[in-house]
Parts: sequence; C-alpha cells; structure tokens
Amino acid sequence: MAIKSKSRQKKFDTRIDFTPMVDMNMLLITFFMLCTTMIKSQTLKIALPTNEKVEKEDQNKVKQSEAVTIIIDGELDEKGLSDPSKGKLYYYDGMPETENLATTGESNMKQIQFGTEDGAYPAIRGILQERNKEVVKEIAELKDKWKKHEFDKDDDKNTEIFQQKRKEATNNENFKRPVVIIKATPNACYAHVVSVLDEMQINGIVRYQIDRINEVDSAMMILLQGKELNK
Amino acid sequence: MGKVKIKKKETRIDMTAMSDVTVLLLTFFMLTSTFLQKEPVQVITPPSVNEEKVPDQNLLSVLVSPEGKVYLEVLGSKDSTMRSETVRADLLKKMVAEYKKTHPSANLTFTNKEIETFSKLNAFGVPITRMSEWLKMDTEERDKALKEGPGIPISMNEDPNNPNEFQMWIKAAYNSENEELKDAIVKGGGIAIKADQSTPYSVVNVVMDNLQTIKMNKFTLMTALKVEED
Repeated sequence: MAIKSKSRQKKFDTRIDFTPMVDMNMLLITFFMLCTTMIKSQTLKIALPTNEKVEKEDQNKVKQSEAVTIIIDGELDEKGLSDPSKGKLYYYDGMPETENLATTGESNMKQIQFGTEDGAYPAIRGILQERNKEVVKEIAELKDKWKKHEFDKDDDKNTEIFQQKRKEATNNENFKRPVVIIKATPNACYAHVVSVLDEMQINGIVRYQIDRINEVDSAMMILLQGKELNK
Repeated sequence: MGKVKIKKKETRIDMTAMSDVTVLLLTFFMLTSTFLQKEPVQVITPPSVNEEKVPDQNLLSVLVSPEGKVYLEVLGSKDSTMRSETVRADLLKKMVAEYKKTHPSANLTFTNKEIETFSKLNAFGVPITRMSEWLKMDTEERDKALKEGPGIPISMNEDPNNPNEFQMWIKAAYNSENEELKDAIVKGGGIAIKADQSTPYSVVNVVMDNLQTIKMNKFTLMTALKVEED
C-alpha cells in the first residue's frame, strides 16, 4: 500500500498557475506607464548681447539694407496670462521711418497675419524667405540632393554631409543674408517668441538678435493700431 | 462517445507565455523611463522644431511660473563624485557665502541635517532668509510652502555689483566645485529656462535680463517637440 501511495504522489501536477503573476506584472506595468516620462524636452539655444554700454564707435551697426525688425505683441486675458490665439506681428525693414509719424501717423511698419493658432507663421515665413532667398534656394537644392542620397549612399553619412553643407550655406558671406532683430512687447506670448526664433532656424537665418523694444517702436505700433481701428 | 471526450478537454490556459511577455514589458519600462520629478508648478513648454535634447546632467533649470515666480532645479553629474546631492549641498554653502558679500550682518547658518534635506530636493524657491525654516518642515508642508511662497526673489536689476537673490544663486552655481556644470554654463547648455507657453514675455524677460546682467548671456529655452512639414 505504501508503495502505491508514493507512486500516486509522483503523478501530482507540477505546473504552477501563472495567472496571479500576470496580474501583478500588469499592475506594475500600469504603474510605470503612468508615473514616468519617456519624452524628453528639447532645447533652443540662444545668446543675448552683453548688457554693458558699448562705446559709440565700437558699435557694430547693422547694415540698414539687411535689417528686418520683427515685433511680437499679444494680449493678456483676465488671469494675466498671454493668450496664444491673440498674438499680433509687426515688422519693418531697415531703420524706422518716422518723418510723418507725428502728422499722419504713417511709418514703414506693417502688420502681418499671425498665422494659425498652432504657431505656424506662414506670413512671416514668406517675408523672411524673400529676404533670405539665396540661402533658402541653396538649402532647398541641398535638401533635394539629400533626399536622393546624392552625398553618400550611407544614410548617416548622407545626413552628416547635408548638415555640414547646410551650415556652410547659412554662413556663406557671398549670399545676401538678412539680420533679424526680434523684439517683443511685455504682453507678448512666450510661445510666439519661441515660434519666431524657430522661424530663424527653419529659414536658415543665422544672424538674429533679441532686443528690447524702444519708444519709437511702441509709438509706431500704437499709431498703426489706431489706423487699423479707424478703417 | 467521441463527443463526450472532447468536452472533457481542459479549459485552463497556460499563462507562462503571458507572464514572460509582461515581465519583458516591465523590464523595458523600468530601464527606459525616468520618473516624473515633483515640480512646484506645472508648465507646458512651447512647441519648437528644435531637436536638441535637454541634457540630463549638469543642468541648472530655471522654472518660471506664469505669474512670475521663479524656482531652481539643479542636476549634478551622473557618474562622478559630483552627483546631484553633492552639487546641491555645495551650492547652498556657496550661496551663503555669496549672500554674505552684500549682507555681511546676515545670520545664515545651516545645520548638517538641513543641508542634507536640501541636497535631496529637486526644486527649491524660497528667500534665503527663510530657507532654514523651510527645510525644517515636513515634506507635505514644504511642498505647500513652496507652491504658495514667493519663489526666489527676483527683480529687474542692472547692477552686477549688487545682485538680487536669483543672480546670487546662479553665481553660486557657476562657482560650484562641479567643473562640468561650470563648463556647461560657459558653453550655453548649463542654464535652461522652463516657462509655460502662455507666459507673458515680460515675465520671461525679467529672468533673461537678470542673466544678462551677470554676463550669463548664453542659455537655452526648454521646448517641446513640434514636427514641421515641408
């Protein structure tokens, strides 16, 4: 009898039920999925000019024909936040022309379409591309070659050479390149400032600067707004 | 008779394979992810086409709330003696020294325990005179005080010889013993401004201006990825 019972024990099922284990793992996975981030933020590098007062003679005045000043304006909502859907953009070429400002309120400042709400700036892009067309054309050609893998058969190498050539094109002294001065009013939306900085990169503009808004700019803007309202 | 036999077939499913899969998934999540850090304010960074990643070490992030409160987050090196804890403890000591330059009579001393508490905190943002009191609180109270407090005192200041507290913190970080952080700040990747997309420019401008005054002209803005079609 004893022998018989032993043989019975050997027949006992050795498989373990994994269902609770799976349950527990699922719970842990859910926990990790909810408590962690996988997307890392991106960064945008900027360099500001020094605050020090520069001697008049040392000042490297931007060539008038190359300068474009972009002014970003916005509106605050009742919470004191800047409303991303209510931005305005102004721009003028070269120096501000203020001869007729006091009499007719006219200047060379223009208001442009802000674009869609998600931060695309079709109008400003057109203007910047127009002023940077030689570089933009060169970049488009390079991009075409890059897409056809003309630089190198190898994918990584192809991209590397493309990026190198792109950098050379944006820094090429022989091209007519604009100098963009970006100014923002206190009410401007931070997202819009970043978007305009983005446009610099999209359009291959390497010479740009963030500057403070001055009285002339504000006056031109207010008078332009007044004229828009009277229309 | 054959029909009866089919009905007797076992209905239990073998879960071993399923278990294998879940363990694999779990391992994947554990290895690839980083935990969300507790932050005093939630900000949504503005979208940008830039693809450069935020460094995950040697970084001083300036968290700016839409109302203009400023908090700081410090990350040390990942694989040297200068880990985040060491860097933070050192930063606090340097900050005290920096503060005493303009406020020689200030009574600022931190116990070892307070320094240890400070070194474990991800974000901070209270006036230095109240720091000691803040570090003595328990975790919940501390978070609440951080959220409701004024943040790091900051104002428009163009006199580099008379810095405000925010500028002192940045200077302290720059002078820290962590050479890698100093190097990153010089190159422009060491300081990152993290602000909400609907922040008025005036708020961000104060921070930028403050950095400019102490000659930290190069820094980065934290953004979220946006895909641009062309």
